[in-house]
Amino acid sequence: MEDNTFTEYTDGRNLQQSRLKDYGNKGRSRTAARRGRIDLPFCVLTIVILAIGVIMVLSASFARSYYTTGDPVYYFARQMIFAVSGVALMLIVSRIKVSTFRRFAFPLLAVSILLLAAVPFIGVSEGDVTRWISLGFTTFQPSEITKLAEVLAFAAMICTYKDKMKTFRYGVLPFAVIVAVIVGLLYMEPHLSAAVIIFAIAVLMMFAGGTKMGWFALLGGVVLVLGLLTLTKFGYASDRIAAWRHPEDDPMNKGFQILQSLYAIGSGGLTGLGLGQGRQKYLYLPAEHNDYIFAVVCEELGFIGAMLILVLFALLIIRGFWIALHANDRYGSLVATGLTGLLAIQVFLNIAVVTNLIPCTGISLPFFSYGGTALWIQLVEMGVILSISREIPVSKEEET
Amino acid sequence: MQASRGKKRAVKPNRTILGRTLVLMTVCGIVAFIVLALQLFKIQILEHDHYESLAVGQQTRESAVTAERGAIYDRNGKVLAMSAPVDTVFISPHEIQIYKEDVQLIARTLSEVLGVDKNDILEKAKDTDSWYKVISKKVESDKADKIRSFINDNGLLGVHLEGDTKRYYPYSNLACHIIGFVGEDNYGLEGLEFLYNEELTGKNGRTIRLENGAGTDMLFKDFQNYYDAEDGSNLTLTIDVSIQSYIEKHLEEAVANYDLQNGAACIVMDPKTCEVLGLASLGEFDLNNYLDVSDEVKAQLAELEKTDEDEYDEKLAEARLRQWRDKAVSDTYEPGSVFKTITLAAALDSGAVTTADTFYCEGSMEVPGRDTLMCWASYGHGTQTLAEAAQNSCNVAFTNIGITMGAETFWDYIGAFGFFEKTGIDLTGEADSLWWSKDVFCDSYNLSSLAAASWGETFTITPIQMVTAMSAVCNGGYLMKPYVVKSISDAEGNVVKVNEPEVIRQVISGETSRTVNKILESVVSEGTGKNAYVAGYGIAGKTGTSTNTVLEAMGGQSYILSFCGYAPADDPQVIVLVLLDSPGSGTDVYPSGGNMAAPVVGSIITDVLDYMGYEPRYTSEELEMIDVKVPNVAGMSVEDATDVLNHDGFSVRIIGEGSSISDQLPAAHSKIAPGSEILLYTESNAPDKLTTVPDLSGMSYSTAQERLEAVGLFIESSSGATDTSTVVSTQSSEPGSSVPYGSVIKVTLIDSSIQGHY
Repeated sequence: MEDNTFTEYTDGRNLQQSRLKDYGNKGRSRTAARRGRIDLPFCVLTIVILAIGVIMVLSASFARSYYTTGDPVYYFARQMIFAVSGVALMLIVSRIKVSTFRRFAFPLLAVSILLLAAVPFIGVSEGDVTRWISLGFTTFQPSEITKLAEVLAFAAMICTYKDKMKTFRYGVLPFAVIVAVIVGLLYMEPHLSAAVIIFAIAVLMMFAGGTKMGWFALLGGVVLVLGLLTLTKFGYASDRIAAWRHPEDDPMNKGFQILQSLYAIGSGGLTGLGLGQGRQKYLYLPAEHNDYIFAVVCEELGFIGAMLILVLFALLIIRGFWIALHANDRYGSLVATGLTGLLAIQVFLNIAVVTNLIPCTGISLPFFSYGGTALWIQLVEMGVILSISREIPVSKEEET
Repeated sequence: MQASRGKKRAVKPNRTILGRTLVLMTVCGIVAFIVLALQLFKIQILEHDHYESLAVGQQTRESAVTAERGAIYDRNGKVLAMSAPVDTVFISPHEIQIYKEDVQLIARTLSEVLGVDKNDILEKAKDTDSWYKVISKKVESDKADKIRSFINDNGLLGVHLEGDTKRYYPYSNLACHIIGFVGEDNYGLEGLEFLYNEELTGKNGRTIRLENGAGTDMLFKDFQNYYDAEDGSNLTLTIDVSIQSYIEKHLEEAVANYDLQNGAACIVMDPKTCEVLGLASLGEFDLNNYLDVSDEVKAQLAELEKTDEDEYDEKLAEARLRQWRDKAVSDTYEPGSVFKTITLAAALDSGAVTTADTFYCEGSMEVPGRDTLMCWASYGHGTQTLAEAAQNSCNVAFTNIGITMGAETFWDYIGAFGFFEKTGIDLTGEADSLWWSKDVFCDSYNLSSLAAASWGETFTITPIQMVTAMSAVCNGGYLMKPYVVKSISDAEGNVVKVNEPEVIRQVISGETSRTVNKILESVVSEGTGKNAYVAGYGIAGKTGTSTNTVLEAMGGQSYILSFCGYAPADDPQVIVLVLLDSPGSGTDVYPSGGNMAAPVVGSIITDVLDYMGYEPRYTSEELEMIDVKVPNVAGMSVEDATDVLNHDGFSVRIIGEGSSISDQLPAAHSKIAPGSEILLYTESNAPDKLTTVPDLSGMSYSTAQERLEAVGLFIESSSGATDTSTVVSTQSSEPGSSVPYGSVIKVTLIDSSIQGHY
């Protein structure tokens, strides 16, 4: 245990040695116990949510899948493969030591920024936007990796700056510069929702990392004023805002997607139409198996089913923060906070969009939305949290 | 160990981080989810019904299963109105666009099959937001089938057919005012179609099926709800198609013969039940094309159509309303002398007069409150019995009868006969009658209204009121409610409602009724109604001639000629009221109800009674006069044929030297005047040649017979040559026309010796 804590501040060579020692100790049960087991509640919750998500992909996608490809389980089969391999990936990542993540944080951030910069040139377009890079068998969004890299890197920065976080020079400026670069690149794609998440993660990390409250008050003020200005002055000039406030005014175009989503959610009622019995997925609701899959959940499983899934997500997130609070070191704690926060932000924004709480933007629902590489990255993120959970001191675990 | 613990404490999250992480945990793990839960609660629980109805609205395609509108039958089950399935062809420009279908091909084909302008279709197809643009309605099955195969052959998703029904009226304009018609939406607009719309319509059913966002079926096709259509009920009328066509035939002849300017109306009822057997108002229209106006109207409006479109539309609308108007129930008129029957019945029933009373007429009389009253016969009728006063239709005598009876009594009887209220017949547009107030009528210092009422003037009533009251007079005194719907049956044919004859009240005693029947029979056999006489049928009736008050108010001078007759007088089976409105100047018959309307009633009564199987009862005197049916003698020997024909009162002329009959003129079974000469051919067939019909008008029966026989034609008259004072009024073939040699010409005889408005 002491060895592990020491590695935190030893140089690269010692780190290498201690890792070698770990490998060497692998066979010995005592050492394995010292490294700790993954947090079982967090892992189980992740797998339960993922299982429900994959089943919902089947239910939500089979109609469109049948109409477009002729094979009703096309999307489901692919998602299944990604889910199984993703869980394996998660477990593999959970075995990596936290310090390794810290070591690769900046290289990963650099690579992801390079990929983002490359997207406009080598990316795959869908409609007016270019967000994907092709891997041959599938595509992925560099912005997904960027989010992970951002959390890993910001946590490292906070650990390095420590008390200097209270100053503008260390507590705000470096973070702002990185965020500005990433948001600038995302603006090229364009990818508003990713930019929003990158921004939110930065705020969240800085908040956790100890940046002075004054800055958040200032930011809150600016956002409030801008928001009010947009709503009152230019509110209805923007199609997006108009479609948000009054989707029924343009039911066939701008308001179509959100209206169809509301039809699905609303018609679910208390108990829902039953799993697989939804009707809105029959080519009414667009993106029914990715961004809007939660509408299908609500339609088929009703308010009760939707609540159950919200509770599962809430428990997962609370457990994630619990891991952060109990993490063995500050870096692990900050990474767990960042990744759990990222999960929470994505869940909240997705469901808020689907229920028309906020204006429409494309955010997928973690573990539910169809999309192989995104799912992989989410499970990798869970693996990182599990890795952090491994390093929680046993005694501490017993205390709680 | 100590040092490492200290170090550990230093790298542990500090108090700030711990606190802030707790805040984040609360916000991300609890607050955010409460917000989402509340929003879901609002949508899923509070607004559930709203969104569910919207969702179901788009997911289900409801198609109506049209209930078949019930049929209308005559009393013998002949179809007067029926519905047959047709289709509405519509396109969905939206689907045409999203499935990238060939608009030009669709427009061209639809235009070819349906006869719709291709550019119109292309114009409609431009509205790509629309899913429903009607191209043609009421498309019959042959064309609909072509469209159907066009859709299938090309796999089109943007062209659709929708079931509908179309109303057919097999008899076109027969009984058009009774039946009425339906609009494009199959909703009854006129007549029984309107009045019984609810019963006829039935209840539409629907099919509900789930549909996906692309407009085709959802994957599970078993979800389909079907609500049966309840077909409409059928009406069976009291109308008899045969009787109705007799009426219309005779009225049309009258319109042509007397050049009637303002149409004609006729009501035929069973006087004992007031079931309407036939009811017609001319001019008529074709129920299948109820918007079409007559050729005459078209000709009148042809000029206007070119010059002033607005006025043309207005005039056309007026003409349509006029042709749809049922004169027999919607128009009012002064009944004139027909109403004397009511005066007579009331006076007899109240005991004010008896058949033994006599009345003196010197051609005029003084009545308090008005100018000198002139009888229509200014020479005066002299001393008359009550029956003679009726036969003469004497105004002076009837004024005296009215005064003797007293205004109060008369007023009460008029009310009891139902003249103050509508009859309640189940037809549309029954008009109200128009009377003085009771105070004016019963003013003891001013008898003018009482006097005029006693011979049927200065008030207006509807024809249906008149014939209903006349029924009460002749049927033993019972005022009945007239009706045209005999029963209503459901779609399976089970009778659900039967209209029974309904007695409103007894107005006069049976004895009074019998007395009046005898008097009115004498009016026909001896008096002013003699032109309605037909030997053997015991027709009773009363004439009427009145001014058309509507046209008079507009400055014109025209008459409404009417006759109400029934037969046989001792047990009336049928009652007929005929109204002829405004004879033109083109006729040389003196315009009076007795001259013009009476013969029409005579013809209708004989046709109807013959049709009903009534056996005429002839007096021995009449027997000599009636037309005789020619037996078939072809193939017989000359001697046998001569015997047979002589036995029937015919004389014979044998043409040729043969021993047996090869042909005869007129043809076997034709009815001709008794004592006519039959031509028998023994060697050849009757000559196949034409002969010209002479003009017989104004000739006596025997003169006319001689004239016709001279050119090889035969004569027939329904009324027979009972009276030497009658002359030919109309003939069945136009003077100057060519008819086959040996044809039978039917003539109408009238006694026009009495000229006056009686």
